[in-house]
Formats: sequence, C-alpha cells, structure tokens
Amino acid sequence: MIDSPFVEVSNLHFSRGEKVIFSGVELQIPRGRITAVMGPSGTGKTTLLKLVGGQLAPDAGRVLIDGQDVHALSRKALFTLRRRMGMLFQSGALFSDLSVFENVAFPLRVHTDLPPTMIRDLVLMKLQAVGLRGARELMPAELSGGMARRVALARAIALDPELVLYDEPFVGQDPISKGVLVQLIKQLNDALGLTSVVVSHDIQETLSIADYVYVIADGQVMAHGTPDSLDIDDDPRVSQFVHGEPDGPVPFHYPAPDYFHDILNLEGRP
Amino acid sequence: MIGRILSLGRRGCDVLEALGRSGLFLAQSGVGIPSREGWYLWLRQMHFVGVLSLAIVLVSGLFIGMVLALQGYTILVDFGAEQALGQMVSLSLLRELSPVVAALLFAGRAGSALTAEIGLMKATEQLTSMEMIGVDPLRRVVAPRLWAGFVALPLLTVGFSVIGIYGGYLVGVEWLGVFEGSYWGNMQASVDFIEDVGNGMVKSLVFALVVTWIAVFQGYDLVPTSEGISRATTRTVVYSSLAVLGLDFVLTALMFGGFS
Repeated sequence: MIDSPFVEVSNLHFSRGEKVIFSGVELQIPRGRITAVMGPSGTGKTTLLKLVGGQLAPDAGRVLIDGQDVHALSRKALFTLRRRMGMLFQSGALFSDLSVFENVAFPLRVHTDLPPTMIRDLVLMKLQAVGLRGARELMPAELSGGMARRVALARAIALDPELVLYDEPFVGQDPISKGVLVQLIKQLNDALGLTSVVVSHDIQETLSIADYVYVIADGQVMAHGTPDSLDIDDDPRVSQFVHGEPDGPVPFHYPAPDYFHDILNLEGRP
Repeated sequence: MIGRILSLGRRGCDVLEALGRSGLFLAQSGVGIPSREGWYLWLRQMHFVGVLSLAIVLVSGLFIGMVLALQGYTILVDFGAEQALGQMVSLSLLRELSPVVAALLFAGRAGSALTAEIGLMKATEQLTSMEMIGVDPLRRVVAPRLWAGFVALPLLTVGFSVIGIYGGYLVGVEWLGVFEGSYWGNMQASVDFIEDVGNGMVKSLVFALVVTWIAVFQGYDLVPTSEGISRATTRTVVYSSLAVLGLDFVLTALMFGGFS
C-alpha cells in the first residue's frame, strides 16, 4: 500500500430505527486491489456499500472516495462521482424492459454523446469480456441467474469506472457460474486496474481472489488482514466464521428461554 | 386507553408524513422539461396506459350509453317526453358518468399496473441501480408515467362520452324508435360547450392527476416485498376510487351547485 487508499471509511455510525448497524467502522480500501468485506448475514454489508455509494447517509463518520467526502457533496457532484463507480447488485438489477445490449448501452447513452457505432463497439467489447456477446438480443427475463449477473457486470464496467462495488456476487449461483464470476472479477480487476470491493459471505470464493479482507460483525470491524493471516487468526469469532462452524461465539440458537422449562411449559406461555 | 390515543396519534403522523412525501415526490418528478428521450419514454407510456386501456373504456362506454337510453326511455315515455332522450343521455355522460367511470376503470386497468410495475422495479433494485448509474429514477421512470396518465385519461374520457352517446343512439333511436332528429337536435340545443363538456373535462383532468399520482407514488413508496407489492396495488385501486368519488362530489357541488 504505497498509495493513499482509494476509499477511506472512518468512524462510521449508522442505525436503522432502534437497531444499530454500525458503530465506529474503519475501513481503508487500497487502490487497484480487491478488498473483501465479509461477515455473517444481517451485519449490514449491503448497507455499507450503500453508504459508500452515497445512497444512505451515515449518522456520524465520513466516507472519502479519492479524497472527496461522499456525504458532503451536492447532488450533482455526487452523480458525477457515481460515474466513476460501478455497482453490481445482488439481483443483477437489469432493466427488465431493455434488452441485454440496451442494458449495457444504458450508461453510455446517458452519460456520453458517442455516435451509435462507437456505442455498439463498446457494448460488444464489454459483453465479450463477460462472454455474452452472443446473448445481446435476449431480454433479462430470458437469462439465467448467472448470465444476468454477468450482464450486470458488463453494465457496471461500461463507463470504465475506477471503483467497482460487488454486492454478494456469488449468492445463489451454481458452482460453474461461481467459478466464472470469481475469474471475471479477478481478470477485470487486473486488466482494467480497478479498485474492487467485494461484499460476500462466500468464504472460499472470496478469499481466493481478495488481496485484503475485512470481517465485520456486531457493527464493528472484527478482524482484518490478508486471507492467509485470517485463516490462522485465533480470535474464536473470526475462526468460527472463516471455518464455517455452526456453533461458537455466534450461537446456533436464537435467544430463547430454558429448553427444559419451555418444553414443560412451566411459565404457561403460548 | 392511553395506548390507543398514542397509536391514533402515530397513525395521524404517519398519514401526514406520507402526504408530505407524496407532495415532494410529485413536485420532483412532475416538473422539468423532458429531453428528446423523455418524449420517447412518454410516448411508450401513452401506449401502455392509454392505448391498451382503450378497449375496456370503449366497451364500458358503449354499454353504459345503451343502458342509460333504455332506463331513460322507460321513464321519459310515461311523460311523453322521450324526445328528450338525447339530452338526458348526453348530459349525464358528459357531466358525470364519463369522467367518473373512465377514471375508475383507469385506476383498475392502468393505475394498478403502474403501481405493480414501479414496485417490481424497486423490489428488483432497478431503481437503485439507475441511481448508481447516475440517472434520477424520478425523472426517468416516474415522470413519463405520470404525464402519460395525466394526458391519457382525459382522452379516454372523450372516447367514453362519444361512444356512450352513440350507444344511446343505437338503443333509443334504432331500437326503441325515438325520432332521430329530436335525439340529436335536443342534444345540440341543451349541451353547452363550456358548462357541460368543459366542466366534464376539468373533472377528468383532476381525476387523471389524482389517480396517476396515487398509482406511481404507491409504487415508488411501497415495501419492496411480494406482500408489499400486492398491498400497494390494492391501495392504489381503493384510494383512487375513493378519491375520485369524493372529489367528484366536491367538483360537482362547485360546478353545478349554483354557488358561483
């Protein structure tokens, strides 16, 4: 890490109603690398991406992207900054009324005045990169889940962003498309010099490509380091998560009254 | 008891908050000059909410005109006044039935579809991803639909009136034998363009705004789950029907109540 970090999250606090999601999260995302943010479901990993993308505002703390405070920007400056980011949504979030080609062309049409032939070339290049040049005529409803995510990836990189945020890219994918996505994320990162943030709880896939990993739980960064250093971390919480053990500091049971009492129903509960 | 009062107050606050949100929502999406692409998007929505609603609106209009003529004839003929049938059919349609029934049909046919469509776009994160690409979904998704509804419903109402009057003609003149000259002549003599046609169109414009506004807002504001979408779709139909009927009373009182 010679450069200053591309994304810097400092002392981030965020809550939804009564529920505290983050209390003092610190992250530094280095330029040109793949940084993974991991953690059990429901720890607000997607929320973190939305805070970085400026869709939600934190209660306290700052998010700096390339030195700019995301939440202090005007709406116009924020939209300009977003042109430098791509985001891959969990569901793909393709526009269902546009074909694959038009979906990828969408950011180009909105943000540039390029002639149609050049847009066509660019779209075909992006689709070629994700291996779906032949599927350009299809509508999103005709795609499998893995294909939809690849098209969404092509759309996310259409404007050659500097930062790509991946929200659970591997969830619900079969092993083949998981493998394809892992490779794509890695290749794109290396080929285009992107800074990537991968939010995920798929340990094997994520650790195989990440340069640096943050583990988030209970609203805070529980551990961070390179994938190898996490593997041998002796914090029981980290080791439970990284090795996928069903019971441990994160309990298997949802909090409940004593089992014996509950079965005999000594307290007369419904 | 205290709890009940508290929850009542909370409900009241929620309602006010939703009203405020919907007002802001209307202001943010309704204003602004559309780009060339905006016109194209608007035209496409005109097709969805306008052209595709034509069939149900026209068929209903025809039947309502026919029923009006049939019912009107049986009463008027007792007084020997069946010559006034054209006047009765046209005035009831232009002043009252066309704007109201067309708006109710529109809420059911197009309003619910708008809510479900926008809601599904929200549930599948399409609106969020549009925002991340740097496009305001209010301008790109909501505005064309809002304007299409606002323009389409008054046009549909005109179609409803025309075909309803023709339906009245079919039953009254062709079937029951009212003299054709008096059907059209009495109509011409008694229908005032500003008073009757104009006021009917004003009603229709108001209904168009309210129904489309409710529909797109319910879609944009819903809880993005399958249950949320179904609830919002129901709410669109219920709220817009109630709003149309309630506003119709107010507007009728203002226009024809003799207060001015």
